[in-house]
Amino acid sequence: MSVTIEAERVDQLLRIIVAAATGDYELRVPLVEEDDDEFLEVELGVNYLLEELSLNKARSDSQREQLAARADELAEQQTELMQALSTPVIAVWPGVLALPLVGRVDDERAAMVTATLLERVAAERATHVILDLTGVGAIAGNTMPALLRMVRAIGLLGATCLLTGISPAVARQIVALGADDSGAPVRALAQLSDALAHVLAQKGALRR
Amino acid sequence: MPFFFEEAVTPQGKPLLRIHAREEVTLADAEALGARLDGPNKGWLVLSIVDRGTEYAPAARKYFPNLQHKYGALAAVVTSPIVRAAINMMTRLTGQAPNLRLFTTEDEALAWLDAMKI
Repeated sequence: MSVTIEAERVDQLLRIIVAAATGDYELRVPLVEEDDDEFLEVELGVNYLLEELSLNKARSDSQREQLAARADELAEQQTELMQALSTPVIAVWPGVLALPLVGRVDDERAAMVTATLLERVAAERATHVILDLTGVGAIAGNTMPALLRMVRAIGLLGATCLLTGISPAVARQIVALGADDSGAPVRALAQLSDALAHVLAQKGALRR
Repeated sequence: MPFFFEEAVTPQGKPLLRIHAREEVTLADAEALGARLDGPNKGWLVLSIVDRGTEYAPAARKYFPNLQHKYGALAAVVTSPIVRAAINMMTRLTGQAPNLRLFTTEDEALAWLDAMKI
């Protein structure tokens, strides 16, 4: 098969192919009814190919947008879940809240714990808060003052804060900071159960 | 609707499904044709008159080759080189299409359909 094609048609086709190679699928080869030859089918075929690429690109863009929106939604849900899990405030008795902290406590987490806990203390008119540090491996250097400020804030709301499960390292940090001097009297007990027994005895709940 | 269907007969009196195609043929149009061909009268002889300027939507182009086994023979009357190129492109998707042929006049198309032993 031999077909003679005008150079202009070939140039035009090449320009459009080059544009497509750079990601522009919107151009089309202009088709002319008078160009009744085999090359017309090639030109039309290129247009069909470009239409298909354009459709797939639109589909892919739409899917990408949906995925990004879903990822944002999941990240938001994850943040909410992390917040809920990192501050599991439990009402162990009417007026008595317990907060077992697990893992590393940094400034951001301390701020989140403080906000959540103070809100619950106020909402439930709590008289006692037991802050259990058994699961706390380490407290970031400048975070201890934030926790002690929280203890003081709890006191200002009329509740007593008890610390339990203090590790030797954390004990040294508290002493180094001079908790008593900072105006945040710290009552510490060995275990959460000791603190609970202490509070319930104070409330007279253990008496029959 | 770019497809108009009409039941007719060939010069030799064989049942014929006559289609007039124009403007942009969509997937819905192509599926309507598929439904016609799936009807009680199987193995239709089809005469398709395709106007100049008729275009086929991408989804319709992909659907048409599926119809090849549903008709006995299809003669398309096409005067536009661009439309002819479009039909040739769709035919290439199926590989060979011995029961489909393009003509430039209706008389030639009807004569071919009448000559088909179906």
